[in-house]
Amino acid sequence: MLFDPNVILGNLDYLLWGRMAQGEPGGLLLTLLLSLSAGIASLGLGIPMGLLAWSRPGPIRQTLFWWADLIRGIPLIFVIFWVYFLVPALLGRDVPGSLSVILALAWFTSAAVMYSTVAGLDALPKGQWEAAQASGMSRLQALRWVLLPQALRNLRPSFVGLFISLIKDTSLAFILNVPELTTVAGQVNNRTQLYPTEIFLFTAALYFLLCGGLARLGQATSRVK
Amino acid sequence: MQFDWTGILTGAPLEWLKTGIVTTLVVTVVGSLLAALLTLGLLSLRLAGQKSLRALAVGITELFRNTPILVQILFWYFGAYNLLPRGWRDWINDDHPWATLPGNVPLLSPEFIASAWGLGLFTAVFVTEEIRAGLAAVSPGQSEAALSQGFSRWQTLRHVLLPQALSNAFQPVVGQFLNLMKLSSLATAIGLWEITYQVRQIESYNSHALEAFAAGTLLYLTIGLIMGRALLLLDPAKRRPLTPAPQPVEVRDAV
Repeated sequence: MLFDPNVILGNLDYLLWGRMAQGEPGGLLLTLLLSLSAGIASLGLGIPMGLLAWSRPGPIRQTLFWWADLIRGIPLIFVIFWVYFLVPALLGRDVPGSLSVILALAWFTSAAVMYSTVAGLDALPKGQWEAAQASGMSRLQALRWVLLPQALRNLRPSFVGLFISLIKDTSLAFILNVPELTTVAGQVNNRTQLYPTEIFLFTAALYFLLCGGLARLGQATSRVK
Repeated sequence: MQFDWTGILTGAPLEWLKTGIVTTLVVTVVGSLLAALLTLGLLSLRLAGQKSLRALAVGITELFRNTPILVQILFWYFGAYNLLPRGWRDWINDDHPWATLPGNVPLLSPEFIASAWGLGLFTAVFVTEEIRAGLAAVSPGQSEAALSQGFSRWQTLRHVLLPQALSNAFQPVVGQFLNLMKLSSLATAIGLWEITYQVRQIESYNSHALEAFAAGTLLYLTIGLIMGRALLLLDPAKRRPLTPAPQPVEVRDAV
């Protein structure tokens, strides 16, 4: 069997940016937009959760870890179902599928960000905390100006890894028919019928370039420090 | 919000859920066994002497780690499956009374093969990486001591390094197998009749979405909890002292 590139070339613009001309980004472009939005949101959610869990041992920390374990214990597809179902019920109006996916991915990934942040703070030498206290800093100041900046720098490789997982996880938007890369690849496959190997190999290649490239970049930056 | 469980725990929906549970369990077990076998293969490639074999293993690892499992399953199902010999596919599509669930649901199907294989290969890549990390954490003195005792390279690996590597990596490896179970939910995309597929079917059948999602969530949590406990019972760290390795006979001859 020969690889027929025509099916890829004929649908290239649709696979790369969907109906961009009609103002509806799709394909690889939407994959990037979903990943970036969910990535930023998961940091904004996960880092404060990590700080809270680290600085408040006891019930608060236990609840946060229980919450994170619960999210990590169910398949991501069910997190998407719940958001898709509950958010409109809570807001009393429809929510676009892409927003549901962003919220679900941010929620899911924030649990991992929280775990990493706690581990990053735990890994810092004790002297850092003691020195900050001895210089008269409050707990909050010590966290904000001494511990967190160091922890975040050490955590960069771990966050790059989480972002790569996040890019791959956006493929689950397929289930809500949000037209990111995997969904449009499925659409092209349904329409053309005869070229599944070509279409899914090309799709995999795009993800591979994106995720593999990021992994390389992450390794390079973590070596520089 | 009002829960009405009769919508999912009676009649057809209940039968669907039962089929879903069995399918999820079987695809998890078969996928895990495949993953264990493929891990052995990948690990031997990784530890092989020849550079080309090691490069092959690295290539496979990079490829499957950096693409979504969903795209991999779609590829195996829509693309690669059709490259199987005609005779195999005919046999898979035949009736198999020994692999048919109540309600005439075939367990052996193209969907099942593609899912179990896709999940197994994806998981094997990650398990291999965990074991390699476990191997790297064994102190070099262990290998030096074994070699100086007259163990061959293979004996050192088999009796000294790998048991310690497995013990080091046990928890993350268990995590990967639990992940396989959760990822089997993605097989709904190619129409495998597992739990997620059945949950969506109930939702479109009688709109009991809330109850169906809750049931699915609870089922995955419960299966994960039981599976995690069961796998941790196998933890080599709990079975110390390790069974003594056979005495390297050559040493006595040499002395």
